[in-house]
Amino acid sequence: MGKPSDLVQGTLDLLILKTISLGPMHGWAIAKRIEQISADVLRVQQGSLYPALHRLEQQAWIAAAWGETETGRKAKLYSLTAAGREQLEKELASWDRLSTAINLVARMA
Amino acid sequence: MRSADKVRLRLRSLFLRPRVEAELAAELSFHLEQQTAENIAAGMEAKEARRAALRLFGGFTQIQERCREMRGTRFIDELVQDLSYAVRTLRGSPAFTIVAALSLALGIGANTAIFSLINALILRPLAVQAPDRLVALGDTSHTGSLSEGSVRTDIFSYPMYEQLRDHNQSFTGLLASGRSGRLRVGTGGGAAAEPARGRIVSGNYFAVLGVRAVRGRTFTAAEDRAPGGDPVVVISHDYWQRRFAGDDGVIGRVLALNGYPFTVVGVAQPGFAGDVVGAPTEIWIPLMMQSQVNPGRKYLDRWDTSWLLFLGRLKPGASLARAQAEANALFKRSLTTYAGAAIPPQIMPGPDVKPIEASPGGAGFSSLRRQFSQPLLTLMAIVGLVLVVACANLANLLLERAVVRQKEIAVRLALGAGRPRLIRQLLTESLLLAVLGGVLGILFALWAGPALLRLTGGSSSVMPLDLRPDLPVLGFTTVLALLTGIAFGLAPARRATRVELAPTLKENARTVAGSGGTGRWPVAKLLVVCQFALSLLLLTGAGLFVRTLQNLERLNLGYDRERLVLLKVDPVAAGYTEGRLDAFPLQFLDRIKAVPGASAVTYSENGIFSGTESADGVSLEGTPRVERGIAIASDRVGPDYFQSVGVPLLAGREIGPRDRKGTTLVAVINEALAKRYFAGRSPLGKHLTIVGPPEDTVFEIVGVARDVRDHDLRGPVPPRFYTALAQSTSFASAFNVEIRTANPGALVKPLREAVRGYDPNLPVEELRPLSAMISESINHESLITKLSAVFGVLALLLASIGLYGVVSYTVARRANEIGIRMALGASRESVLWMVLRETLFLALAGVAIGVPAALAAARLVASRLVGLSAHDPATLAAATAVLLAVAVFAGAIPGSRATRVDPTQALRYG
Repeated sequence: MGKPSDLVQGTLDLLILKTISLGPMHGWAIAKRIEQISADVLRVQQGSLYPALHRLEQQAWIAAAWGETETGRKAKLYSLTAAGREQLEKELASWDRLSTAINLVARMA
Repeated sequence: MRSADKVRLRLRSLFLRPRVEAELAAELSFHLEQQTAENIAAGMEAKEARRAALRLFGGFTQIQERCREMRGTRFIDELVQDLSYAVRTLRGSPAFTIVAALSLALGIGANTAIFSLINALILRPLAVQAPDRLVALGDTSHTGSLSEGSVRTDIFSYPMYEQLRDHNQSFTGLLASGRSGRLRVGTGGGAAAEPARGRIVSGNYFAVLGVRAVRGRTFTAAEDRAPGGDPVVVISHDYWQRRFAGDDGVIGRVLALNGYPFTVVGVAQPGFAGDVVGAPTEIWIPLMMQSQVNPGRKYLDRWDTSWLLFLGRLKPGASLARAQAEANALFKRSLTTYAGAAIPPQIMPGPDVKPIEASPGGAGFSSLRRQFSQPLLTLMAIVGLVLVVACANLANLLLERAVVRQKEIAVRLALGAGRPRLIRQLLTESLLLAVLGGVLGILFALWAGPALLRLTGGSSSVMPLDLRPDLPVLGFTTVLALLTGIAFGLAPARRATRVELAPTLKENARTVAGSGGTGRWPVAKLLVVCQFALSLLLLTGAGLFVRTLQNLERLNLGYDRERLVLLKVDPVAAGYTEGRLDAFPLQFLDRIKAVPGASAVTYSENGIFSGTESADGVSLEGTPRVERGIAIASDRVGPDYFQSVGVPLLAGREIGPRDRKGTTLVAVINEALAKRYFAGRSPLGKHLTIVGPPEDTVFEIVGVARDVRDHDLRGPVPPRFYTALAQSTSFASAFNVEIRTANPGALVKPLREAVRGYDPNLPVEELRPLSAMISESINHESLITKLSAVFGVLALLLASIGLYGVVSYTVARRANEIGIRMALGASRESVLWMVLRETLFLALAGVAIGVPAALAAARLVASRLVGLSAHDPATLAAATAVLLAVAVFAGAIPGSRATRVDPTQALRYG
């Protein structure tokens, strides 16, 4: 991804929330997981990742706790809160709506 | 749940900042390490791996900054930063901080003190329930008035109260409140009676106001039933604490009010001091007991005895306008319903009588309010201007400090601090100073306010106004402090940050000749010029007030004010009836004449500066008769009145001992009456008729007396006529005795003895030298004068300190130039003149602006001046001269320092 635009920032929130919904992870793991699952198409820039994580934390959609990684290092792990789960559903729904709409217009015969 | 979490996070960011920052740094480094590890695993060598990782990261500090922004506490963070920095800076220069804080404290404190007086007297509502729903009927300044002879619309009679109370639709309740007159309270047990402040009120008084009792009960409607039937009183909480030490046994106690026994049935809630602001009530007496409290005087059954003011509580949905219209309609209806027998035509209000006025009653009644409104507002303007002058000084001081801190500011700007952020931080310093000044100012006001009251009020032990700083006062002080801080801080802050970076940052930049340096000059000089202009304004004002006061004190009143003692007694209250009252004047006079030192004694109904006045509808021979006559002020006097008081007669003779009952009725008129109605002709022998009821009384004019001032120090003397009390059919409503003596002060005690010797039960209402009474009436005049003089001098002092600072700085900066001049042969005098020239230029510029400002401002206070015009040139010239003299002095000090500059030193270090 190039410079994050507004549209992309909203999408980044969705990606983070979805990724975390599978289990608590730290920032590095989130970025790697997104890269992995999107088959290297989406590369998250650190410059946008951490501010986004902190914003989501301020909104109390994700909660942070310090824990240990597999290698025994201390890292800040983020997990989804109940409110975050609701927000995730909302974002998914609006993404569906948006992408359907774009598809309709782009593919119109 | 979610909002609780959000708040918790915010608080954590605020208070555990270091921990939060450390966590963020740790988190980001962790990520960096992982990325580096990945790079190494991909085959890069260690150093390259780390550098690549960093590049990918894209700026550690920026990411940290953005994360901080996300936390949402940036504003508070920065504020805390600014405040702690400001505290450190101010602590670093204690002298400056102390001087600045003290001058601010003085300026803000003076403003707060005056405002708290204004708040207590004019703005604050009564301590009752929902004061905004109260409506006052009548003239709210007539709190102690009593008028007989006609039906009035500015104060009311009891019969009129009954009408309005029983037939109105706008109020849930209408209360009446009137003066109690002199109250002497005997608590029994042989102790002497003490004076107390009372108020006579209707039974629904406490109910309408929503005031409850903390002991016993308040009045009920039962107290309004039978005249003389309920000798009960309610006392105020203050009085209960002060006089009865808060004793619960006060309920049921019997107090003798003017000799009549009353039982205390209740103590009012704390904080409630009645409906009159400036005269807190101690004892409330039911209306029905009026004639018991005022022996010999019955007010309740007469339509033409007006002494009550009303407060009504509006029904929901009713408006003030509707209440006013209804009151006037009921008033007119009562007049027509009862016209004839109960309201005879002669006491009907005239056709030009003003309608009943309804006004918001939340702030109660006050006679002081009208008196002191203008003086207080004038004082407010004066202290406001002094504060402006003080601010200008502070602004200059801050500008100087800014020059010293240029390097620091340049470094910070170069490091990337935003200019607005720096301005905000410098402004925080000023605001902190201002808040400090504000807090000290409140403390100063706590002392100054009551001190001012003592100066105006005299020595009564009950402080007439409650000056505790409540919310409006604190709010005022806070707003004033903040505005002040911005006023003197903003411009210097903006100027300080307008620094050219490169030249300032150079190694040996001392004082910079860039925009930060010389740019300062016009501003500082402008400020000093404005200060001088304001000082001239204040000095001129003070000068005008001082001369007015002098004129008032020296005012020729028409008689010898230094040799008169006034004695007022109340035989009616002592129970004297007809026969005794007839003989009283001459008997009493003889007794007083016998006092050694009394060279002449006489009496009059309305006295001199006694507060009462009469007027009669009069018809004069030679002028067309008007229905009800022309209203002219009058007085009924004793024999040889004019000679005793010292008023010369311009024509004819005065009222003498031979003018008694049975002889021709005589009158003496004053100059003003003669001029207005008998211009050109001799009034002697002509007739003056007091028009009806019951029928006309004809007097022969036997003399013309010089105009005298006996009620008012200001304004023209109105026409007046005097008749003989001895020839009159009714006794005087008040009895004033005027005694001429060489030494008034010494006669007070012997006179009191004489009265007690004549009749120990005869109450003495007043016994004072006339000069003391006149001093009291110009009391608040002299207060304004003294204060304006003090503040004028203070402003001039502040302005000259400012001038001194500016000129000193010039001299310091130009030390180089001065050194060169002196080395080239310039004399000391020419150097001194150079400095003084600058000084005079600034001062004269201030005068040029100040003179028109002073003239304009003087017009605002022209109505207070006596004996001189608002544009009095002598005062203006004197103020200007003082100003210039002080300016020259302020400039001469640095000037003489300049002459002592050692040329070699100056050249070396210049």
